[in-house]
Amino acid sequence: MLEKLRECVTYGEKLGAEFVEARYDDLVLRTLQRTNDAWKDIILRSRAGAGFVCYCGGASGYSFTSSDTKEALKKTVAQSVKMAKASAKATSLKLDFDKQAPIKSRKADTYPVKIHPQQKGLDYKTGLVNRAVETARDFGKNINNVTGWYGELYGRKVFTNSEGSDINWDFEIVDMRCLVISRMSTGELVIGIEQAGGTAGLEVFQKKGSKPEDIGKAAAIQATEQLKAKSCPAGKFRALIENTLGGVLAHESFGHLSEGDFVVIGGSPLAGKIGKRLGTEHATIVDHGTPDIEKFGGLWVPFDDQGTRAHKTVVLEKGIFKHYLHNRGTAKRLHEDPTGNCRAVHFGFMPIPRMTNTYFAPGDLNREEALELLDTGVYAIQTSGGQVEDDGSFVFKAIRGYWVKNGKIQEPLREVALSGNILELLTKIEGATKDLFIQAGYFGGCGKSGQAPLPVGTGAPEVVIGEVTFGGKAD
Amino acid sequence: MKEKIDYENLKDELLSVLDSGLKSARKKDHAAEFELYVFYKHSTRVDVKQGVVEATDGLVEGNAVRVAKNNSVSFASSSGISTDRIERSFNEATASLKAVSVKDERFKGFCEPLKPGREGAFSSEILNLSKERLIKYSDGLVKEAKKFDPRVLYATCTCSTDWGGFAVGNTLGLQQASRSASNACQIYCVAAKNEERRTGNEYDISRERVIKSEGLGENAAKQAVALLNAKKLNKTQIMPTIWPPIAASSYLFASLGQSASGRAVVEGLSPLSGKLGKKVAHPGLTIVDDGQDPSSLSTETVDAEGHPQERNTLIEGGVLKNFMFDTYYARIYGAKSTGNCSRGGVFGSSLPYESQLSIQPCYIKVTPGKKSMEKMIKSIDGQAILIADVPIGIFHSDVATGEFSAVAQSVFLVEKGEKKYPLQPVSVAGNFYKGFQNLVDIGSDSQRTPFQTETPTLTLDGFSVVG
Repeated sequence: MLEKLRECVTYGEKLGAEFVEARYDDLVLRTLQRTNDAWKDIILRSRAGAGFVCYCGGASGYSFTSSDTKEALKKTVAQSVKMAKASAKATSLKLDFDKQAPIKSRKADTYPVKIHPQQKGLDYKTGLVNRAVETARDFGKNINNVTGWYGELYGRKVFTNSEGSDINWDFEIVDMRCLVISRMSTGELVIGIEQAGGTAGLEVFQKKGSKPEDIGKAAAIQATEQLKAKSCPAGKFRALIENTLGGVLAHESFGHLSEGDFVVIGGSPLAGKIGKRLGTEHATIVDHGTPDIEKFGGLWVPFDDQGTRAHKTVVLEKGIFKHYLHNRGTAKRLHEDPTGNCRAVHFGFMPIPRMTNTYFAPGDLNREEALELLDTGVYAIQTSGGQVEDDGSFVFKAIRGYWVKNGKIQEPLREVALSGNILELLTKIEGATKDLFIQAGYFGGCGKSGQAPLPVGTGAPEVVIGEVTFGGKAD
Repeated sequence: MKEKIDYENLKDELLSVLDSGLKSARKKDHAAEFELYVFYKHSTRVDVKQGVVEATDGLVEGNAVRVAKNNSVSFASSSGISTDRIERSFNEATASLKAVSVKDERFKGFCEPLKPGREGAFSSEILNLSKERLIKYSDGLVKEAKKFDPRVLYATCTCSTDWGGFAVGNTLGLQQASRSASNACQIYCVAAKNEERRTGNEYDISRERVIKSEGLGENAAKQAVALLNAKKLNKTQIMPTIWPPIAASSYLFASLGQSASGRAVVEGLSPLSGKLGKKVAHPGLTIVDDGQDPSSLSTETVDAEGHPQERNTLIEGGVLKNFMFDTYYARIYGAKSTGNCSRGGVFGSSLPYESQLSIQPCYIKVTPGKKSMEKMIKSIDGQAILIADVPIGIFHSDVATGEFSAVAQSVFLVEKGEKKYPLQPVSVAGNFYKGFQNLVDIGSDSQRTPFQTETPTLTLDGFSVVG
């Protein structure tokens, strides 16, 4: 395939493209879902396709195809040249970039897993789900519904360009989840959910805390506890944000604002803020394509879809804004280096600046010290998602929580929404624990410009925040 | 299959692919049932972000296969609709069925063949929209928004055209195809004053005519500028909330769009379970899911498993009349499919053939009332808020609980019958289903929105507002 792509790059240049990027993905996606006693999904998807970005006059055009014949690929690159030429006539903000030495991938660029999902049959994977679901049933109360999921995504990613880069590596991710829904005596439904996964082999489900039984049990215990949980009061409170919720906050509310495409058009409130203090000394946010997965978890992205090698980019360092996240064009425009953040969800989309693993850096507190620092407020845990606006406003849904009084955990709280503006919130971070955890998975992912779900890692320690708005019930 | 597929011969070509695929499948295993879905869509999209122009063009082709045998069902999909790619899906699905015995006793076979419904409206002009015209529309709208007011910080616009179709068939003899073409544009802009930023957006979507872009840029800019100089609400209170069509449609889509699904009902996830024939909303509320509205983008002859799309009354006079079903859940519930089988999930998918089948609304329509929005505002005695856009977080509610908490970014204070001034973002929280019961007013201003919904303004009481 690499040879075919190289021919297309040459062909695109002959047709007038100043620069051509060619990529081909050949991926396998598997989803298993069991709800109660019935298997709802046993799905295998083969996703293969090619995409070409052509550049003319500082503008870009993109064309894609799911065919891999030489004729179809050449037709597609020709179409991409036409799109770029048409764009060039209207473009007034040009995103050129400097040429660089070709990049060649190595064998070590593929993350080494011990038990690759390809090595195990379907019965092994359905067995994982069954173990989680059955354990959840054993530990749950007033169960209305139990769902277990297993997902895997793996395959080859191939890339070349006008510089002669040759990149060839394997993407891989596995995921297991269990959701327990229990019914309260009032008839209302409450949930508990647990997950494990990321770029890892199936050995991850043999580790303590990530075994199917551990996942099922944790989900059931959470749902059971929620049966007696109270609604979170509405208003502004001090907060302790748990790791996975903190990670989503770092990604959604701050990470997106630092993406170069949003900055070059003047849209991001972070435009022109390099070197400015945006947060307290406890606020450090990093994006890293190849984190220490063994230690923290996460996703392995050694190259982006523009052929740039992964970087560790410190976006915010002890409250000072340091760097944006780029593709090659936005990096040049903003006088920074590319950061390996140009990604596409699949061959049907042009790669755009996206995050890889984005996380709050750890602090120096332990859990007890964090609760003590919190004093009285809400300990908000896990998230079912959230939404952000261009100005940094956000809403995130914490799945559950606890009311904390004088540093001691009190009654459990129901699902609650947190809202505010990230730029205000960063100024209220008072401390963080030592335990960084980066969550990544097959299910869900990041959405931007219609491209979803892109696998990403989101991480954080537990973070103490001086004030957060909780949208609960008015008295 | 022909080298070049055009709109005219699309259905025939896809049916031909389907027929040969199914014939080949039958030879594999006479005791098994097979279903094949083939998808084909051509898309052109232009994004103009201030002065950055990006144009994309491409063809998505894919296929999905389900194989059923002895109450076990498997699913596989592949990109492409060539013989070998379809063969690959059949082989994968068959292999997974052999590899693991996962019985689903509730599965009673694929969709039976029935007479298809109608195709939606079609305009050949949409097929002729060039990338140059899309660039011109997008660029023009961005410039129009920027020109309207110097406080417009930036604007982005996306214009797109799509045409394509699908064919679905099974070994029960069902073989159906459907096709459509549509075009859309959406302008989004941000107005700023010092550190304050407010947004506005406008759109046009159609399958029956070319998009009308003129004035959309100015309208979006007007909306954003009108929200500047917002004041703090400074209170936490239960008060009426007025939801114009765009906001109301998000409320309907996030609530009824999910809880009236036969899956949610059968699996015990919906608070509407067991409430058929009972009062679930204010008596003035009637809601239909119309899969045969000619102008709706989701109107097809058949749904994603081949059942004819239909018009289905969900709530009539506040009484719950029906749920939305596909064949699988209809049979479990003891009802008939309502033609709501979908591939692509709640918000659709760029590769729908990859998605397992689900139940989704076709086109939710609320029967309008008689009051204009102005009269609805006048009838507010004390204080209320008017939510001018989709509140952020509205789609992150849980269907099982109906509890939601969202932040309204574009919001105005209404006091003693008058729209007063813009407010800084407020949090709105409550329960979707209690909201339907606490419906105060239904407007006369019905409007189509991007959420496959057509609704007038709704006034709902009983939600907590924090700001």
